[in-house]
Amino acid sequence: MNNALMRLMQKNRWSWSAAGVIVLWIILSIVTGRWSIASLSGILVSASFLTLAGLGQMIVVSTGRGNIDLSIASVITLSAYVALLVIKGQDALIWLGLLATLGIGLGVGLCNAMLVIILRVPAIIATLATGYILATAALIANSSLNGSAISPTLRWIASGRVGGVPIMVMIAISTVILAALLLHFTAYGRKLSAVGQNRVAARLAGVRVNRVLIGAFLTSSCLAAFNGLLLGAYVGGAFLEMGQPYLLQSVAAVVIGGTLIFGGSSTALGTFFASILLILVVTIMQIMGLPRGVQDMVQGVVVIVILGFAAGGELRRSRGRVSAKSLPNRI
Amino acid sequence: MSKQDLADPRNVVAGPVSPIISLQGISKSYGPTQANVDIDLDVRPGEVIGLVGGNGAGKSTLMKILCGVIEPTGGVIAASDLHAERYNAAAAQAQGVRMVHQELSLCTNLTVAENFFVEVPGAARLHPAWRGVFRQRATAALDAVFPDHRLNVDARMARLSIGERQMVEIARAVATPGVRLIILDEPTSSLNADKSKQLRAFIHRKTAEGMAFIFISHKLSEIVDIATSVSVLRNGRLVWRGDVEETTVGHLIGLMGGSDATQARSTRMRSGQGKVAIRVGGRWVAGAQTEIELRQGQIVGLAGLEGSGQRELLHGIFSGDKDVSLTSETSFVAGDRQKEGIFPLWSVLGNVSIGRVARRRSFSSVLDTVEAEAAQGPAKALRLDSDRLTSGITELSGGNQQKALVARALANDAPIILLDDPTRGVDIATKQDFYRLAGEIADAGRTLVWYTTEDAELMAADRVLVFAGGQIVADLEGDEISEASILQFSFADTGRTENKSDNRQDGRLASLAAMAMPYVSLAVVLGLMFNANPMTATAFGLELLLMPAVVLALVAIAQMFIIGGSEIDLGVGAFAGLVSVLSATLLATDPAMGVLAIGAAIVAYASLGGLIQLREIPAIVVTLGASFIWLGIGFSIQPTPGGSAPSWLSATIGWKVPGVPTPIVLLAGIAAVAYAIDRTPLGVVLRGFGNNAAAMALSGWSPVRYALLRYLLAAFFAASAGLLLTAINTASDINSGNSYTLLSVAAVVMGGCALLGGIISPLGVVVGAITLSLIGALLGMLNIASDLNAATQGILLLAILAFRNFANRRSEEAE
Repeated sequence: MNNALMRLMQKNRWSWSAAGVIVLWIILSIVTGRWSIASLSGILVSASFLTLAGLGQMIVVSTGRGNIDLSIASVITLSAYVALLVIKGQDALIWLGLLATLGIGLGVGLCNAMLVIILRVPAIIATLATGYILATAALIANSSLNGSAISPTLRWIASGRVGGVPIMVMIAISTVILAALLLHFTAYGRKLSAVGQNRVAARLAGVRVNRVLIGAFLTSSCLAAFNGLLLGAYVGGAFLEMGQPYLLQSVAAVVIGGTLIFGGSSTALGTFFASILLILVVTIMQIMGLPRGVQDMVQGVVVIVILGFAAGGELRRSRGRVSAKSLPNRI
Repeated sequence: MSKQDLADPRNVVAGPVSPIISLQGISKSYGPTQANVDIDLDVRPGEVIGLVGGNGAGKSTLMKILCGVIEPTGGVIAASDLHAERYNAAAAQAQGVRMVHQELSLCTNLTVAENFFVEVPGAARLHPAWRGVFRQRATAALDAVFPDHRLNVDARMARLSIGERQMVEIARAVATPGVRLIILDEPTSSLNADKSKQLRAFIHRKTAEGMAFIFISHKLSEIVDIATSVSVLRNGRLVWRGDVEETTVGHLIGLMGGSDATQARSTRMRSGQGKVAIRVGGRWVAGAQTEIELRQGQIVGLAGLEGSGQRELLHGIFSGDKDVSLTSETSFVAGDRQKEGIFPLWSVLGNVSIGRVARRRSFSSVLDTVEAEAAQGPAKALRLDSDRLTSGITELSGGNQQKALVARALANDAPIILLDDPTRGVDIATKQDFYRLAGEIADAGRTLVWYTTEDAELMAADRVLVFAGGQIVADLEGDEISEASILQFSFADTGRTENKSDNRQDGRLASLAAMAMPYVSLAVVLGLMFNANPMTATAFGLELLLMPAVVLALVAIAQMFIIGGSEIDLGVGAFAGLVSVLSATLLATDPAMGVLAIGAAIVAYASLGGLIQLREIPAIVVTLGASFIWLGIGFSIQPTPGGSAPSWLSATIGWKVPGVPTPIVLLAGIAAVAYAIDRTPLGVVLRGFGNNAAAMALSGWSPVRYALLRYLLAAFFAASAGLLLTAINTASDINSGNSYTLLSVAAVVMGGCALLGGIISPLGVVVGAITLSLIGALLGMLNIASDLNAATQGILLLAILAFRNFANRRSEEAE
């Protein structure tokens, strides 16, 4: 019986983070002494932003070879600035803002993909470097920004509710569903998994590996860009550090959610629950009055512990004879 | 135990000498596949055992068991003085068993002499003349086996040809102190006639002294020439063992299953009147003929000595070689299933259906039910049980995995199927299935291009293209196909010598340019600076400008050691920031506590390295997580910049050598220390791990211990950087270290280190660090906004990487 449950949980890796959410939610209720749907919806909204960034990160991680998108944080910040600059608080200019956001997403994603594919720069270095360049762009945007009026429609989307449910949560959930469908029921999802598991085999099976990679980096950057647009509308402005938390948290959400860090297997639902889990952890720490430094520390420890003591073992089991060591690019 | 062994009648026949090692009833199975079944093998001093058998007969499994690399599922390994509880790699080495692998187990980034050193883990002591010892040992060993070898023992392995590497590998094995049994796996495959003659002469000399050899070779005449006894494996069983006098080449072929040839022979020939499917021309075709046309409905075999261009053509057909034209799509069946074939996380169905899915548009739907339906046909054709479609691919035997890969190729209806040695490691029954299936596929009108390493299999082909020296030298059809004719053409002299000397020159130039890059860029930056502001050329100017470079140099050296192990540390800057905070707060107010705290931080950092190695998790994510821990601790101790530098710490940079700016002295010192560490045995071992961790572990080095040491080393340099930050700023800020992470990677890459690990260059890294930190100052002088600093650094890093990769590609192509 117990074994059956364990097997089920091993097969559906998202269930671990879902269970974690429930446990933490109970702890939070006990700590605060009340069950509150209102506080949950606040957490869910924060988690929604993280989910969007996390889903993009998940797809990049799925491409294998230790690929990670470290430019997500800078994309979020930059697109928040650019959206503010372009839209100027006017609903009439939203289309321009959307276009600019899409432009940032496509541009950065394409740039990252080209660095990885044509110049053969490892993804981690390529995205780290583009992140620096984007950070400079954000600095420049910061100096030319005067006033931070948010267009009413965008503000409504980012912080409004329909029937008591935050619109952001709906956006996040539908993106999760779309991502899950993409991963499990489309050719792209299969190709992505194939590339992540064994890039040479994927190429020989006829998969256009480079196209899959481009798709992954584009998705990641576009999701991050729209995330930045919405986040700016939600917090009512833009500031230089606003993307920073998403650097570690997007990776953490992917890893904790049960996506294999070496690629090939990903779970959108897991990333969603892990995002909630992470926000819950942060919220609990805030309620307990822990300073920011300690919060950072705990998040770092959580990532290392989960990776070191749960995800690693699982990886070895499922990979069987193909050990992590035989992967050529183990950085 | 040696006494009881004599009771065995076979031992009495072989002589009264007790065996070096004795395998008794050894079996090994991988799931349903039996690689070895009940094998007895004694190895006695002075013996040369020729071990023969077809591909997949179980030779390599047996040898791995003998070397203690894998554990048998049944049987006993005994030796006269075996004390170890378990027979593992270390116990095998203690017994004096050494194997010379077919896939070379050398570290290509180390010199010949250094490779001799890493073979003996016990010798890792710091001795001033340790290099001389191993240089001498290497020279002596090479001289002993291959007189007049003319190899430079200080040359990096990467610079040697495959044959020369093989020579080093052999010499290294025989030179190991205490070695009694050497296993040579296809040792002569990359040696020329002269060298393999020397090797055989050496074996004769050594056996006279009592050393034993196991000689594995496909060249049976060599076996008959050199062995004293021969053991024949077939399908994992020892089918024959006897003195070499009792056998002949023909006899051995028969024992190995030479009758396969007739079984592979197809019952009827396909005429080859179909439409043209593939045209091969250009550089592939030798002689007067300009183009070879391959038609539909035929099996075309690619033959020749291994590495004569068959695989290149096969891959060329698949990926659109310029000298090959196709009329239709191709699908590929890989023979190296683990590396190029299977997707280990998927079921059999997933592995089959990817063949159909791969060519579809990204957003077209994929439903398992539909795919299962589509997979029924190919599965049935292959006699692959359709119930097994849902089980994991890794649960299948090698033969069935291979069937799944063929099913994948059939599933997408591509008219051309390329087979890359598909029966490698597959049992006889499956092979027979395979030949039958290939015939059926061809009868259905598809074109099969079949590369195989077993000449006998070519009898199943309707047409055979024979390769020599990278070109097709013969085009055999129908009755012209025989093993004899294939062999005859395989050894044909094409008169085409590999003309690579110009290329090599080119590659050397490119890698030279890459090596000179840090120095040239430093000169350029300095020139621009002196030009923009002559004041900078003074000692005082340099003093001011170069101090920040010292911090970067220290962080970069830390990063260099990590990257040398093919990992990247995203938390090294944050760690330096933390040490800076600790030194400006705790260390300043309570020295004992401060020292303790910094020590604890260093230990924590080093243990991360151990964790990464132990749990096989990616360093990037761990160090990214760790960077938040370092920052979090620093932020908790000191929320806002402040603190003060302990006076003694400030004094460390307050001194002066007359005439020379202090930072230059410090930089030179850092480079010297890092260089010295790199030259110690520890440094060599760390580089060895960066290049070929598996080989190092095989030689007996502990991966976890050296991961710990590597990170400990990095921690010391990063901590020094933190202390220096405090000394320079006379205060601390937890965020002051962050920018060094990216810059350190840039400095390391710029300095000439390989991101993949194994190649490090302390001097280059220090020079790179100076250049990078001067660029910031230069931009300031040129009145470029400091806002642009980050972007400049990012662009610079990418430019350096792009340049280096370009240079590397040039030199790779040349060699």
